[in-house]
Amino acid sequence: MNIFTTDFFFSIIRIATPILLATLAAVIGEKGGVSNIGLEGIMMMSALFGSLTAYWTGSWAVGLLAAMAVGLLEALLMGFFAFKLKTDIILVGTAVNMIGSGGTIFLVKVITNATMGKSLTSTTSLITKSLQVPSWNIPLIKDIPVIGKVISGHSLLTYIAFLLVFLTGVLLYKTPLGLNIRSVGENPNAASSVGVSVSRVRYITIGIGGVLAGLGGAYMSMYYAMGWSLDMVAGRGFIALAAQSMGGGEPIGSMLAALIFGFAQALGIKVSATGVDSNLVAPIPYIVTILSLVVFALNQRRVEKRRHASALK
Amino acid sequence: MKKALAVALSLTMVFTMAGCGSKKETKETEAKTEAAKATEAGVETEAGTEKTTSEDVKNVVYLVNGNLGDKSFFDSAKAGLDALVEAGRITLNTVEMGGTDADQPKWLQTLYEVADSEEYDLIVCGTYQMPDYLKEVATAYPDQKFLIFDDDTYAGENDNVVNIVFKQNDLGYIVGTFAGLMTLDTSVDRINEDKVIGFVGGYDSPVINDFMDGYITGAQAVDPDIKVDVRYTSDYVDTAKAKEYGISMVNDSKCDIIWGVAGNAGNGAAEAVLETNGGWFIGVDSDQELTLSDELAAITLTSGLKNVGNSLIWFFDEWDAGNDLFGQRVSLGIVEGGVGIVTDKNYDTYASDDVKAAVDAAIEEVSNGDIVVPSAFDEGGNEAAQELRDSVRP
Repeated sequence: MNIFTTDFFFSIIRIATPILLATLAAVIGEKGGVSNIGLEGIMMMSALFGSLTAYWTGSWAVGLLAAMAVGLLEALLMGFFAFKLKTDIILVGTAVNMIGSGGTIFLVKVITNATMGKSLTSTTSLITKSLQVPSWNIPLIKDIPVIGKVISGHSLLTYIAFLLVFLTGVLLYKTPLGLNIRSVGENPNAASSVGVSVSRVRYITIGIGGVLAGLGGAYMSMYYAMGWSLDMVAGRGFIALAAQSMGGGEPIGSMLAALIFGFAQALGIKVSATGVDSNLVAPIPYIVTILSLVVFALNQRRVEKRRHASALK
Repeated sequence: MKKALAVALSLTMVFTMAGCGSKKETKETEAKTEAAKATEAGVETEAGTEKTTSEDVKNVVYLVNGNLGDKSFFDSAKAGLDALVEAGRITLNTVEMGGTDADQPKWLQTLYEVADSEEYDLIVCGTYQMPDYLKEVATAYPDQKFLIFDDDTYAGENDNVVNIVFKQNDLGYIVGTFAGLMTLDTSVDRINEDKVIGFVGGYDSPVINDFMDGYITGAQAVDPDIKVDVRYTSDYVDTAKAKEYGISMVNDSKCDIIWGVAGNAGNGAAEAVLETNGGWFIGVDSDQELTLSDELAAITLTSGLKNVGNSLIWFFDEWDAGNDLFGQRVSLGIVEGGVGIVTDKNYDTYASDDVKAAVDAAIEEVSNGDIVVPSAFDEGGNEAAQELRDSVRP
């Protein structure tokens, strides 16, 4: 069987999108010195409320906005605990992840019981094709052989995600806010001494991350799968943290890292068709992670060495 | 002031979290009083097909190691127990212990608590996640009776525990027969020329392979040329991953019928079928045509049922009739109503009369033992199932 078909490359992009969105959240967070390990939990909560709102309003666009708003709110709440009340942000993140699992099932039962008179444990039965984020066949490009089949026809969110890679780069390196975010991340005291409001910048940082993770959650429940179900994000928020570090914390690098994860999983799926033991297929994404981290570390070391060598000359 | 606010907020957070997994006890007091009244009057109450004197109203506690509302296992068990409550045969106390990793420590503790309270004639729990906890508590409280459904890890080791398992291989055989017949009937919408059907399982484990074993055997009995594409998600929650597998099965292997046996994740296979317009989906455990959205229900041909509730009623029938099954592994099949297949709605609409007759014949043959379906739980059965799987790959 030929593995490298157009739908293989298409699936790489489809698989990578939610990871990419969460990865960008992690990239901005780390630049601003905010280690948000709660991305997974935010995605789960956004996935739930995105799908619920889409059902209530009958509009995927409103659902998408709700998912972003919930992501923002949850991130700001995290910020409140971490920056205002000085809780360890890792603990806050852990709490958010636990709420993302136990809290969502609790909320969905209470909410559906109140609004529909019966408590549902997933929103799978509510989301129909018309409530999903639409996919987009790009004019002209879709007619190009091979490339058209790979690039065209993805979810609107996929194109937004790749656009956001570019926008994240612009935000971080071409705007005053980006400069503030980076300086607060590098040295909050120095930033503070020149009049930058450290806490304001941090709230903005974590807030942007929340919105991005919210988009990732919406992708999960409103495009990738039909509706929210318990633990459906299934570790993508954590993989994003790995992708951020694999990508050296830069937008483009992290995008490539997310695509590597997409490639790994897509490969696993195609390989499973040939009858390879599923216990060998399942860890492929994780093996790829480790290998990539090794390659990344070796590369870093070479760069460092070269820099030292040139400094000595 | 700020400090007070901080404390208040963190307390709220803690309580919200504790609240998420906290026990929600529902005491069926009404039933209890009714039952008590019945006892006084000495009236006979009816339940199911069996008649029983109300003197032996049993106090039962049902420990859910997850949450009700799963439309599957836990709900099915609850429905069976509720029917028994309504019939005045038992009183019921249901404890939802929560299903996340964070909830797990509570399971053992709750088991100890209810065993120690000596309030109950029977403690009911289920699934593969419970046996280790149950064994510990059952050993510590030898006079307390326990029932665990859908697991037989320590079957027979404690005289006070009964293990109820389901003949999912029989169920698989029926579903496989049906899927095999349908994939040959190209007059049905979206059924392609290729004799390939699919199976998305959770893990490459005996429980899942037991379904698969029957499924393949059933399909092959229809036509030995039928190929079966088997994939495992290695996961029960990742719907999106199951969808990726489903898409690959439709596009790469030309499957036109996929049976999803991977918990919630299995629905991803239905979504794949819908998105690729690739044919039909078959549900599992409960009637999924009733629980999926209209679009997904429309492409769901039938569901293979595991009737936990029926099996509990069956158990109480036996118990009340004086048949002590404790200390045993009880395997329930089609005859006992432990497993079955949905035969109304889409099944009724799309299956031809010939197909229906053939499926009925298969049910008959399995019921009366003319056909013995291999099981992954037999000695060396899992390996045999894996070999069978590899031999029918498309």
